[in-house]
Amino acid sequence: MSPETLIDERFDELVSALRAETPGTPQDLRERVAGITATPLPARRFTTRRILTFAAPAIAGLSLAVAVAVGLNSAIDPGGSGGAGNSGSSSAAEPRARELAPQVGERAPIGTVATDSSAQKRAVAPIPTDGRAQDYNASLVLLVDGTEDLSATTQRALRTTRRLGGYLVSVNYTTPEPVEGTAAVRVRIPVSRVQAAIVQFSGLGRILAQDTRISDLQLPLDELTRQIRRLERRAAAAKGAERERLLAQIASLRRQRLEINRRAAFATVSLDLTTHEPKEPAATPGRLDRALGDAVGILAAELIIAAYVLIVASPLLVLLAAAFFGNRALRRHADQQLLERA
Amino acid sequence: MTTVTSSLADVARRHLDDVYRYVLYLTRDPHAAEDLAAETFERAVRLWHRFDPERGSERTWLCQIARTVALDHLRAEERRRRREERYASLADQTEELSERSLSPWLQAALGALSAADREVIVLRVILDLDPTSAGRVLGVTPTACTTRLGRALEKLERNARNARVA
Repeated sequence: MSPETLIDERFDELVSALRAETPGTPQDLRERVAGITATPLPARRFTTRRILTFAAPAIAGLSLAVAVAVGLNSAIDPGGSGGAGNSGSSSAAEPRARELAPQVGERAPIGTVATDSSAQKRAVAPIPTDGRAQDYNASLVLLVDGTEDLSATTQRALRTTRRLGGYLVSVNYTTPEPVEGTAAVRVRIPVSRVQAAIVQFSGLGRILAQDTRISDLQLPLDELTRQIRRLERRAAAAKGAERERLLAQIASLRRQRLEINRRAAFATVSLDLTTHEPKEPAATPGRLDRALGDAVGILAAELIIAAYVLIVASPLLVLLAAAFFGNRALRRHADQQLLERA
Repeated sequence: MTTVTSSLADVARRHLDDVYRYVLYLTRDPHAAEDLAAETFERAVRLWHRFDPERGSERTWLCQIARTVALDHLRAEERRRRREERYASLADQTEELSERSLSPWLQAALGALSAADREVIVLRVILDLDPTSAGRVLGVTPTACTTRLGRALEKLERNARNARVA
């Protein structure tokens, strides 16, 4: 028992007298109160405290449910309207699809890291069309382990080119730092073997990007052939200076045709080897991450709204609280004064 | 419904004496005290659904209701007395507290105290409430309640000494 609980010993006699002479309750009052308490009690009503007890968790639960529902909805339907994860998912899926199935004339973004296991395999190049003259250009960006590997890989690329019947157009080998370097190798490979070349080149390192462009040369070639035949017919009928002029034209056109045939016979392959790994783009969030992110976002928005409402309403709440407590203090003071007088 | 009703009836049986003594010491009028005690339980029936055991015992809750009822009564009495004083001086017709059980010297000593002093004495001495519960009824802190009790007992003792001498 604390000292406060005890009553001062000086008043023991007085306290004993008070307790000994406690008045008893009259019997008729007992019967009266028994009658009062025997009446049916009114139904339990919603008090402010009870409403708050249930309303606060209910509002919190509802807010959480809305956040989870929105998060799940956006995770299931990332392409739908709304949802924070839309832009990230579609943009990330596109290059991956391109990488796995390169299209003619399409360019995979430089610097895209092939994270898919299938992309780590040999690259697949479009097959040139047999019987048609085509200008075939391919480029590969490969990651190698270091400068030593860079040198060896460059050598291997050149050997592969020679083995496939191609030739080197240019090579630009630079190592600005001891551990980093690049090699830009440009080779010409017979079109018939370009697919094999790309497959073998892609095995030299990790593919960072691939680009294949094919443009048709058959139409200009056919047009040149038609012009040559027409001029040949006219030259056969012409004489003198006119014939000489036509023959010169025919020779020029034949050179052009030869040039096109030469272009069409060999594909240009650009091989960029690098030791510098590009920064990986931010990992595409999964469904669960998107749902969680969106739910957290909604919850944050709800909290911001609640804080905003609280800030706006706080002066009013302070005034109400001051009025409430002030009124209570005044009432207590008045009650005390009344009891002092009584 | 039946269970709740019976529980309030049990509460009334257990604490009727306390409520009656509390309002009797406050008013010093046995007849008024009976009415006030009955009214306290009438209010308790209406407010029973709001009783929260976590905020205090049933006895403390009943004393809080009884205090409100008694204060309403004292206010009404004060208004009546002022009104009557304006027209005529009426003799005090109230039956004194002592007639029920108290000895004359104690009745005189208590009669010289204010209702505020009698209130803290009845709560802490007669009903034997702890300072926290008594403070909750009075709307003050336990320390303030203890201080009030000390002062009230000192006054009562002084009054009792005078009453015995007289």
